[in-house]
Parts: sequence; structure tokens; C-alpha cells
Amino acid sequence: MKLGLKSICLAGAIFLMACAQNKEAEEVDYRLKWLFNVSTVGDLYAENRGYFMRHGLKVNVKPGGPERDALKELELGHAQFGVASADQVLRAAAKGAPILVLAQLFQVNPLHWIYRPDQISFSSGDDLKGKRIGVTFGGNDEAILRALLARYGIAENQVTLFSVRYDYMPFYEKRVDFWPLYLNAQAVIIGEKLEKAGEPFAFLSPDQLGVRFVANSVVTTREMVEKRPETVKRFLAALLEGWRDALDPRHEEQAIQVLLEADRETPEAVVRRQLPVTRELMLPPAGIAFGTIDTAAWKQTEAILRSQKLIPGPVDVESLLFTFK
Amino acid sequence: MLHRRIYQFLIIYAIGLGLLLALKYGLNLSDYVIPSPDEIVRTGRSYGGPYLLAVLNTLAVAILGHILAIGLATLVAVIGRLTAWIGSFIRTAAYNIQAYPIVAVAPIIFILLGDGLQSRLLIAAMICYFPLLLSFIGVFSEPIREIEHFYESTGRMTWRLQIKIRAFENIQKLTTVIVGSATMAMVGTIVAEFIAATAGIGYSIRIALYQSDLAKILVALFWIGVGTSFYLVSLEWVGNALQKRLRSL
Repeated sequence: MKLGLKSICLAGAIFLMACAQNKEAEEVDYRLKWLFNVSTVGDLYAENRGYFMRHGLKVNVKPGGPERDALKELELGHAQFGVASADQVLRAAAKGAPILVLAQLFQVNPLHWIYRPDQISFSSGDDLKGKRIGVTFGGNDEAILRALLARYGIAENQVTLFSVRYDYMPFYEKRVDFWPLYLNAQAVIIGEKLEKAGEPFAFLSPDQLGVRFVANSVVTTREMVEKRPETVKRFLAALLEGWRDALDPRHEEQAIQVLLEADRETPEAVVRRQLPVTRELMLPPAGIAFGTIDTAAWKQTEAILRSQKLIPGPVDVESLLFTFK
Repeated sequence: MLHRRIYQFLIIYAIGLGLLLALKYGLNLSDYVIPSPDEIVRTGRSYGGPYLLAVLNTLAVAILGHILAIGLATLVAVIGRLTAWIGSFIRTAAYNIQAYPIVAVAPIIFILLGDGLQSRLLIAAMICYFPLLLSFIGVFSEPIREIEHFYESTGRMTWRLQIKIRAFENIQKLTTVIVGSATMAMVGTIVAEFIAATAGIGYSIRIALYQSDLAKILVALFWIGVGTSFYLVSLEWVGNALQKRLRSL
């Protein structure tokens, strides 16, 4: 009987402690841009390895997807933080969405075009002339490609644009010269298939050709920064710590395990090849902190969208990019 | 009949739009989440024409797919009525195939047939085919005993006559099913275009979604509603004319 009473008291104490701990942790929702994959490894790592908890936050990391728009969720109050690409951010800002960019995840846009160097002679942007190029109409690869064509003075009738979907057959069948893909995701899988078939392949990097179109960034609302600055500060500190450690080669095994737990669809061997590529695209040059916002690249992205009339008017980029003083 | 359908649609559209705008101003949402009336009008002016053409393109494919589905469903139902076993087998197969979501089947179709007209047509036909088939099997397998008995006992019954009797006696039911499945044909075509085609209003909606442009989607929905109303009214008109003609025989 005494033992039973003791057990009840002990259980009660544990319950109260747990309640107290939960009360301390502030709960926020974090909507990613895409499904859990290698491009979200740092977000998952920060959650799984307790980085957010150590900063007093309980963060619900939610996968994104084609039907999800983190920016709309922020405005509707369904999430407090999110990940969005620069074109999304600029389109939203152009229409008055009250958002701020806290950190830039990819320093180099992972969107590249794959081609066969043994069949295609390509050494500079001018060589795009006369080529058949895959493009997702309406997608940001279309904006990047059009910026590339404009940069090298190539008119649209000097190339053949091929509408791209999920099916890679047109590229495999050599009906298209250049095919868009994400260097740290699909490129690893497609590259492996081409390697097996004994076909050489290379990638066209828009960044190396002078088109720096910013990809994923961490965003929040102006209201969050004004009303809950401490929460924003703690979230950002924990997230960036998580990202830095996830991309650190010393923590590679843990990062892979965390990712495999969340993304059960991608084979481990593929994840192992994707992670180093992601690291290269995300880590800034030595001496620059992870997550640093590349203002010049943001301004170029805005200029591209404006020149292609994808935003109705100019956007004051600097007023969107937030850093804690 | 047409103007009634159109204004009914306009009322529904206006209510939907009004609710969206009430939400926008009630929650103080930016134009990015819900566009302003001004933006909707501007988008309507810029994209109204191209989107109307895209809807007509989609409608043409939907009508072709619908005709294909009606023809195929009639053929299979006529065969299916021969014995109870074949009828039951076709029904089971139809239920099973219908259970597969088109979004899972569509990519296979697009890989095999490409992203041109054939794929759109096939998917449109597939979506409206099974409801048609199940109803047609029901109609053509059910004997009209009081009429068929006379022809059977006098030895004048042929399979053509049997189908004619059953179709005639169930013409109201068949017309209702055909009109009902027309909406599905339109939806099927839009889904197909959204997934992989390079033409039609589904393709335009996909691009608008990439650009998070709700104003374009609202313009697209307007023309889809108008186009579908036209098609449904035309079908109802054909159905009524057919019934009148049959009654006068």
C-alpha cells in the first residue's frame, strides 16, 4: 500500500516536472519549402538533436511541398517561421506581404542543368545558342534560364525550349541537350544512372555564368521580429547551430541518420552522396558565417524578376533582409 | 436554360469571391495571400482572353474524352449484359480500377504516351468512364419483362431490339448519368493538364500556382465555370430533344 502511494507520488512529481519543462519551452511552427530531403538536413538536425530545446523552444518542423506556401502560412498565422526561395519572397513582398528574411541557406542555387559533354560543346553562355533546353514553364528555372539568355544576348528564337516534367525520358533519349535538376538531389541519382550507362555528364551552373539567383532562405513576419524578438533570436541561433553541425564532416554519420529517419524514401547510399554536394552549395566562403545573406545576389534576383515582369514593380531588397544588431 | 445555368454559376462565383475578399479584409491579409479586387480585374483584362482559349481547348478535349467514354461504356455494357458472370466480372473490374487515384496512374500514361493530346484524352475518358460503365451495365442487364416477354414469346427478339427496349425505357436515367459524367470529363482533363500536359487551362493553373498568383486562378475558375455550364446545358438540350423524339415515335 505504502509502495503504491510512493509510486503515485513519484509519477506525479515526474508529471509535474515534465509539465514545468514543457511550459518553459515556447512552441513555434516552422514550415519548410519542400518535403524532408537532404536540403532540410540542418532543420531536422536542429530539431532531432535538441538544439531548439536547448534554446527554450519546441519547434514543430513541418515538411513543405508543391501545395504548401510557407509565406502564406506565416501571414495566416499557421506558422511562425518558414523557408522560401528568393523569388517567392520577392513576389510576396511586391504584393505587400509583411515578411523578413532572417538567413540565407543556400549560398549557391542548387538548380543546374545537366548535359552530355561528349555530345554538346559548351564552354560559355554563348554556346547555349541553337540548343534544346529543358525548362519548367512558370518555375524559377524559367526565370534563371531567361536571365542567362538575356545576359548572353540570346533571343528566345535562337534556342528551343522544351517543357519539363518529372519524367527524364526526353533527356535519356537525347531529345533535349540541357535538363534542369537540383545538383544536391536529383543530379546524384541521374548521374549514377548515366555513370552506369557509361555516359559522361557535366553541369551548367548559372552561378558560374554570372546569374546568382538566390534559393532557400529562412523567413518570418515583421510582427514576430517586433513583438517576439527574443524568440526569433533564439530560433535563429539554434537553427544555424544545427545547420553548421549537420554540415560539419565530423557529424556526418549523425546527420545522415537523422535524415534517414525523416526521409525513408531515399536510399542511404544516395543520401551519402547528396550530403557532400549540399555542403558545398550551402557553406559560405571561409570567414563568413553560415546563413549570411548575400545582398548583392538578392538584388540581382530582384532585378531578374523585375526585368521579366514577374513582379509588378521594384522591391526594396534591403528592407526585407533582417540582421540582429 | 442556358442563361439560368450561367447566372446560377455567376451567383456561386460571386459568393465565393465575396467570401474570399471578406476574409482578406477581415484578417488584413496582403495581396499575396488573397488578391485585391483591383488586381483581379487587371488580371482578368490581361489573361481573360488567353485563359478563355485555354478553357475552350480543355473543353474540346473533355468533350472528345466524354464521347469516347460513352462509346466504350456502351460497348462494354452491351457485352456485359450477355451473362450474369461477365456483367459481374466487368462490374468488379470497374470498381477496382476506379479505386486507383488518377494522379497515380497519370504519370504512367504520360510516360507512355507523352504529354500531348492522347494522354489528356485518355485521362479525361478514364475519369468519366467508370461511372458511365456501371450505370450502363445496370441499365442494359436489367430486363424490361413486360415488353421483352412479348417479343421473346413471338420469337422476334434480337440483341439489337433488346438494347433498344432497355435504352428507351431508361432514357431519363441514361441522360442524367451522361450529363453528370460531363463534369467529371472536364475535371479529368484539367487534372491531366495540371499533371503533365503543355496546353489547356490545367496547364495555365499549374503555372499560376508556381507563381503563387491567386488572381490568375480566379480568372481561370471563372472561365471553367462558364465553359462547363455551356457544355452541361448543351447535353441537357440534346437529352431532352432525344427524349421528345423517342416519345413521338
